[in-house]
Amino acid sequence: MNCDETRHNLPEYLSESLNETQELAFASHLASCEACRAETERLGSLWRGLALLPGTMPEPTANVRDRFYESLAAFKHGMESAPKHGFKEKLAALWPRQPAWQMAVGFAMLVMGVGVGYEIRPAKQEVQQPAGSEVAQLRGEVSNMRQMVALSLMQQQSAGERLRGVSWAYRVESSDTEVLSALLYTVNNDASVNVRMAAVEALHAFGASPVTRTAIVQSIRKQTSPLVQIALIDLLVDLKVTDAAPELKKLSVDAAVDVSVRERAKAALGKLLQ
Amino acid sequence: MAAVGGGEVQKLAILFERHHRGLFRYFVSMNRNRELSEDLVQDVFFRMLRYRASYDAQQSFTAWMFQIARNASVDSAQKRRGEVIGIDEFTEHKPDQSPGPEESAVLTQDLRLLRLALDRLPADKREILVLSRFQGMKYDELAGVLGCEVGTVKVRVYRAMRALEQAYLTISGEKTA
Repeated sequence: MNCDETRHNLPEYLSESLNETQELAFASHLASCEACRAETERLGSLWRGLALLPGTMPEPTANVRDRFYESLAAFKHGMESAPKHGFKEKLAALWPRQPAWQMAVGFAMLVMGVGVGYEIRPAKQEVQQPAGSEVAQLRGEVSNMRQMVALSLMQQQSAGERLRGVSWAYRVESSDTEVLSALLYTVNNDASVNVRMAAVEALHAFGASPVTRTAIVQSIRKQTSPLVQIALIDLLVDLKVTDAAPELKKLSVDAAVDVSVRERAKAALGKLLQ
Repeated sequence: MAAVGGGEVQKLAILFERHHRGLFRYFVSMNRNRELSEDLVQDVFFRMLRYRASYDAQQSFTAWMFQIARNASVDSAQKRRGEVIGIDEFTEHKPDQSPGPEESAVLTQDLRLLRLALDRLPADKREILVLSRFQGMKYDELAGVLGCEVGTVKVRVYRAMRALEQAYLTISGEKTA
């Protein structure tokens, strides 16, 4: 083993992962080369010191554990309340994986569709266009149903259910004021930080409304959690709410506000005034 | 993790208890910010739940976890681009070993210098030392995490050790001057 090979094998020597033959060759080179021996000793000493460093480092706070178990419980609850195998999943399971079979099934379905369509075609004079008003009515009913599901889930006792409610808010029209006010109520009053965070995210879709923009600014002071305050500040930046500049300025110098929130407000101010 | 992927998500708690401190140390070593590191630990475990189906039981769990951790770190840095992130001054704990008082003082001083030297390294060099030494990752696992050959990992570890030695000597010189 020469000096280059010794340097190449040094990391493995230090981590004691050379095999017996390599280790012998390594040791035999060290015995005859002063420079490599000195380098191995110096780096070996630092290598051993590195192993002691984790013991001198700070531990995570108990908050990490609390937040993890809260998120895990919410996730588990969400999974349990979701349908195990919905119609879509069952249908997807029937779909073949091989592209050749997929084409064959697609073609067979096309032929079947044409055949069935031909058989059941109505007489020409009976053909009627679906009434536009019926389609509109159907759309309205679906929209009402989504709104109802979102609103009722957001009022549940369990944080997991309320999280699901917030996720339903994405499916309603962005002009739906009832869902918007429920989301704003959740952001300001919900007991769970996770639900409040999710509601802040959902407000993105309602960002065009001046009500949303004003309410976000007002909500920052009402929050007890710096995480939610930071999410609200980020939302102001995303929505380019330049009217929020005076409030952000006040926040960035207010000693009563958490230091990370102050820093985020300062950064947001910079972005909004660019 | 295979059980978590199979739907037993409550088993993630076992992995959390086993790995959250190591992950926290990795993040703190890379960004020196406790609060941000705690958020990133949460993010990693949340991503594990989201992408649990992508875990391959043949693969090393630690390597998979640190691939997620690196992605979380990059995403977080992109989100925070332009922001000034505070650097925490940590109160250092005494090492676990218990030598005599004089020996302990020297050891603590040496470790403080080593810590400073490690902090002065460029991020890629610091990362490879933290992963191999703090997390005890093998070179083939590191190759998987860093996306390179095992031979390249060895060369990078060697270069990082040389850079660490240089930084350590510089700091020792500054302290005695």
